[in-house]
Amino acid sequence: MFNSRTYIPRATIIQDIEDLTYDTRLFRLKFKGLGDCDNSSESDYEPGQFVQVSVLGMGEAPISICSSPKDKGFFELCVRNTGGVTGAMQKLEKGDEIGVRGPYGNNFAIEKATGRDCAFIAGGIGLAPLRSVIKYVTAKRADYGKLAILYGARTKEDIVFADELSQWAQIESVEVHLTIDEPQEAWTGRTGVVTTLIGEISDMSEGKCFVCGPPIMIHFTIKELLDAGWTEENIIMTLERHMKCGVGKCGHCYIGDKYVCTDGPVFTYSQINALEVEV
Amino acid sequence: MDKVFLKNLKPLLDAIAEQMELYVPKKLGDYYSFSRYKPADSAEPVFNNIRVSSPAKEFLFPMREMAAVYGGKAETPDIKPFAVFGLKNCDLRGIKILDCVFKEEEFLDPSYVARRDNMFIISSDCFDPAETCFCNMVGGQPFAEEGFDLNLSKVKGGFIVEAGSEKGQKFVKDNMRIFTDLPADAESERDQIRKKSRTRLDEINAEYLLDNPINEIVEGCYDSPLFEEEAGVCVECQGCTRVCPTCHCFYLYDTKQKDYFGKMKMWDSCMRCDYAAVAGGENPRKILGDRSRHRLMHKFVYFLERYGIEMCVGCGRCVEGCAGGSEVRQLLKKLNEELKDKKHTKVTK
Repeated sequence: MFNSRTYIPRATIIQDIEDLTYDTRLFRLKFKGLGDCDNSSESDYEPGQFVQVSVLGMGEAPISICSSPKDKGFFELCVRNTGGVTGAMQKLEKGDEIGVRGPYGNNFAIEKATGRDCAFIAGGIGLAPLRSVIKYVTAKRADYGKLAILYGARTKEDIVFADELSQWAQIESVEVHLTIDEPQEAWTGRTGVVTTLIGEISDMSEGKCFVCGPPIMIHFTIKELLDAGWTEENIIMTLERHMKCGVGKCGHCYIGDKYVCTDGPVFTYSQINALEVEV
Repeated sequence: MDKVFLKNLKPLLDAIAEQMELYVPKKLGDYYSFSRYKPADSAEPVFNNIRVSSPAKEFLFPMREMAAVYGGKAETPDIKPFAVFGLKNCDLRGIKILDCVFKEEEFLDPSYVARRDNMFIISSDCFDPAETCFCNMVGGQPFAEEGFDLNLSKVKGGFIVEAGSEKGQKFVKDNMRIFTDLPADAESERDQIRKKSRTRLDEINAEYLLDNPINEIVEGCYDSPLFEEEAGVCVECQGCTRVCPTCHCFYLYDTKQKDYFGKMKMWDSCMRCDYAAVAGGENPRKILGDRSRHRLMHKFVYFLERYGIEMCVGCGRCVEGCAGGSEVRQLLKKLNEELKDKKHTKVTK
């Protein structure tokens, strides 16, 4: 844990900010002073976990960690402006201080994918939490089978981590497929929603598939994956709910008898199916 | 268990008040509320026959408090020992439920734990259950056998005082001067009174007898239109969740003070419309009937699955406090009938 206290955020300093798109920024954070906890050891967080970020005096927002546990001495958050706290974060500058509680939640259980093919399907900013796993598995490339990344964005201006996507494509037996929703000037790549790319991974249906994106994208992606022969257990996704405390008490993120903050946010599709709820 | 006898309440309450802040029931019309005990008052203190109207959670989980100060070292507030007199078994069971949540090992709630550790509980037998009481329907009884420091049973000529913890035993030992030996027939009289209260509860709730465990009824009728129908009287005042001794949803929000930033913790209610809405504006429980079903599912199904006990103690405060006149027992009874029909149809198919 970064933070042994339940409600007091840990102070972090913004080391760097990168504008990924017109409304999405990547923050690189470093803890202010070491204190009673630091993130220099690898096991401090797992891919899939999130933190509660405080803009001081303004409020908190749950944000997935998008760096890999293998990145030492800092961690990264990819934040899109949806108003409120995330809106206030657009005005922050290098050197500013923000609070962090966590890391909270379960993780992508990546150890279960050892030796298997892994597909990552992301829509929009859904690539951020998956980036943490992708960085993790590409760093331990030999432990996994074939890797495929399918990414769909609304327009070419909405594509996040463009440089990294092309870097990943250079790695041996890693496939990267991109698409944008509608044809656009100066775009020579594919067009259509991300589900149109699922044909590219038809030979991987024995592997694990990690899905992250807006509810509507998840809905159709799962349908296609099931039709293509993937099993419910092998489809892994994250759920979004209104999380306040992050520690399984305040009641806001209840979904069935599960707390998204402590039992999730990562669920297999078979678990979600058992909850009989809308994704 | 050590048992002693007490003739009058005042010496006991005075002795407690000498050591710590003490809260006692005060009669307000037909109801009771808690107020600070003043030893200087010459009148004999009030003994509440039934639970106080406000829930005991107020002592452990205040309606609003500073949960954290940014950059602060300690998260635990400075809580001095305090005592509450007049809690009934339903209140004690409510505290046990809150303990499950706020004393959960992985994430302790520091201010709850601090208050809980410093709370001295003096409970008493309930011997005049109200029409709204239904602890007997949810596995309860009108007297406590655990969860107190001292418990009082009112009998002829005084009270049987029983210590239920080390703190309670020490108090009795240190204050033997105010107690006397137990009269020979006091315990059998107490048992009679307890039996009578139980019978009274059975009478009150005779019309609500259910054929299946409540969790099976609520879960089995998840798709029932009754939730929406019953919610028709709801005016969304959120009173039911305020007075409930086990409802513990809260909201966290940040404040900016002159020289520090703080995080406030405040009661919230799952009956509130935007309670579950997410950042993008989507709301999984837009409809009032869905919210009232969620409340019942949480009480009787989800909590049971998570912690192994039901989250309702049958105190009846939600019935007493409902502005729209909704009655949880009636809803359960209707759901019970619906489930019976469902099962029946299945069998005859």
